[in-house]
Amino acid sequence: MIPLSHWFDARAPADAPVAFGREGERSHGDLRANVAALAARLAPAKGGDLLLHCEDAYAFAVGLLAAARVGARAVLPPARQPGTLRSLVGEIDGVLLDGDPPEAIGGKPCWHPLEAPESPPPLDPSPLDRDAPLAVLFTSGTTGAARRVEKSVRHLEDEVAVLERCFGAQLGPDARVLATVAPHHLYGLLFRVLWPLAAGRPFLRSPVLHPEELAPHSGDEAPFAVATTPVTLRHLVLRSDLARRRGSCRAVFSSGGPLAAELARRTAEVLGCVPVEVYGSTETGGVATRQQQAGDEPWRPMPGVEVAVDAASGCLAVVSPFVSAGEPVGGGRSRFVTGDAVASVEQGAFRLLGRADRVVKVGERRLALPDMEEHLRRHPTVAEVALLALGMGAGEARVAAVVVPSAEAWDALAAGGRRALAKSLTEHLAPDFARVLLPRAWRFVAALPRDAQGKVPSDALRALFESDAPLLAPERLAVRRGERHLDLHLRIPWDLVFFDGHFPGSPVVPGVVQVHFALLALEELLGRAARVRALEALKFHDLLGPGAETWLRVRVDEDGARFRFSLEDAGRPERLFASGRGRLEGGR
Amino acid sequence: MAAAEVLESEIKALIVEALALEDVSPEEIETEAPLFVEGLGLDSIDALELAMALEERYSVTIEDDPERNQQIFASVQSLAAFVADQRAGAGGA
Repeated sequence: MIPLSHWFDARAPADAPVAFGREGERSHGDLRANVAALAARLAPAKGGDLLLHCEDAYAFAVGLLAAARVGARAVLPPARQPGTLRSLVGEIDGVLLDGDPPEAIGGKPCWHPLEAPESPPPLDPSPLDRDAPLAVLFTSGTTGAARRVEKSVRHLEDEVAVLERCFGAQLGPDARVLATVAPHHLYGLLFRVLWPLAAGRPFLRSPVLHPEELAPHSGDEAPFAVATTPVTLRHLVLRSDLARRRGSCRAVFSSGGPLAAELARRTAEVLGCVPVEVYGSTETGGVATRQQQAGDEPWRPMPGVEVAVDAASGCLAVVSPFVSAGEPVGGGRSRFVTGDAVASVEQGAFRLLGRADRVVKVGERRLALPDMEEHLRRHPTVAEVALLALGMGAGEARVAAVVVPSAEAWDALAAGGRRALAKSLTEHLAPDFARVLLPRAWRFVAALPRDAQGKVPSDALRALFESDAPLLAPERLAVRRGERHLDLHLRIPWDLVFFDGHFPGSPVVPGVVQVHFALLALEELLGRAARVRALEALKFHDLLGPGAETWLRVRVDEDGARFRFSLEDAGRPERLFASGRGRLEGGR
Repeated sequence: MAAAEVLESEIKALIVEALALEDVSPEEIETEAPLFVEGLGLDSIDALELAMALEERYSVTIEDDPERNQQIFASVQSLAAFVADQRAGAGGA
């Protein structure tokens, strides 16, 4: 093990592999050369703040180590979007990016971490100050406002030492680390970059968008470990070729959200390892781990971490050397109260109820939304569900449900309509929940809205209820627009309001509604209200039902006096649902 | 339509609107069916909101007599009778 503070004076073999991936393999010698070259170029930023964002995790490591060498703090933006960069650019002295400098960074000096390592001066071997600030991270937070969290060298190297102590033997000395998480968040920073660097395990440098991309990097014979999130793990287990190499899988880590017991079981089946779930946050660092064998095992704190219930909030309070926010309690440790409500702490092990803001009060009763979500998930018609509390009627908080129906449930929805499905789900909950807690509003959607971290933002859920758009209009999958035409790729939602009573058991989008969609598209194309003088040659060729995907095409002629429209089957363009043409008042 | 029927359909519309009921149209509410638990399946929060909506719309006063209130809130029909009764009382006094 090489502690981070002693990386510069460590004597690792120069040819020891450090990173691999599409961008090529790099050795310890390469890394030292890159860091030395960059550190020399970074001299003007000494002691300042450097924004660091790299797609390539190896370039990221070079940037982080070089920044540490010149005593600069690495500011890790949660994303590379211009808006994020612009909001940070005022406070920084320079930018480390592995791409073209975007306009958003203004005139700040920008360095590519891997550029021109031409005969750099030797790397200063003196150890880093353990108390020096190394990185500034941002919590995604549930409120939407990002908070800065500073990490010193010791916070990170101490946690890495504990990870190695807990799991080093299981991984073995040379497992290749396949992480799907970006290094700009604490979980990725530790598991993808710092822990592998310290332990001498090569890490995957390429960014991973789809879990399918992992298998080719797992090597032929080499053992490997996976660090990922529950959302990606689900796809990885379902779709990745990694299963073929299950004999070489040493460990699977999951963090960023609760892992369903069923997925933990499937992972063990497919990859041969019961996943290690890591519970923590940007502020606290790692707090606890668990492996679900029977399902719903309690969390066990990592060595050096103490937990308790915070009396004031009912949330989990954490005292550990990895906590870098909250109040110092001596011995290099700090205490931080999380936003996670605790159900119980027994002999150190604890169970969580979920985010404290996910424990809501409805009619004076407390409800842990995750609890009811778990209940709903057990119903055969539910594939995924997210609950939220909404002010309804006179503003009283009520439970609202967003449900992704299972494959079978789509049929039930088609046959019985959304009302029958909502009723059966309500009845499923009724024996276990007080009447006032039962969901009062339901949305049935093809997928839950998720952000880049795979979390379901509560704003996006709320938006589903704020307008009745999802019920009144089809989902938009794609838009193609020209001067005189507009093509919309639409999916007909299952809970379209027009299906009620049209017809029971066999829902069909009424012809008049199809024309209505076409006229809305026409108005969007014209950019004004369309005053239709006449509709001609209206034909309804085939039945348009829920779940169907259709291209709605609208065309206007040159003088803007006539228009045509068609709705065609997106899968079979020769199959038309409807077509027609019309005349407009006052063309150009 | 008789005055009682007009009032009854008004109250049905008020129920759907005040309680933000999804998937229920006023015409579907049965005049004589129970509103709470069975029938429409309203709950205790609904009872409070409905009372508030009735007080606002019809300037009626709901007393703190639980037994009487249970009768009043039994169905659309009993609610309409209560509102008509209070109006007649106010007009006749």
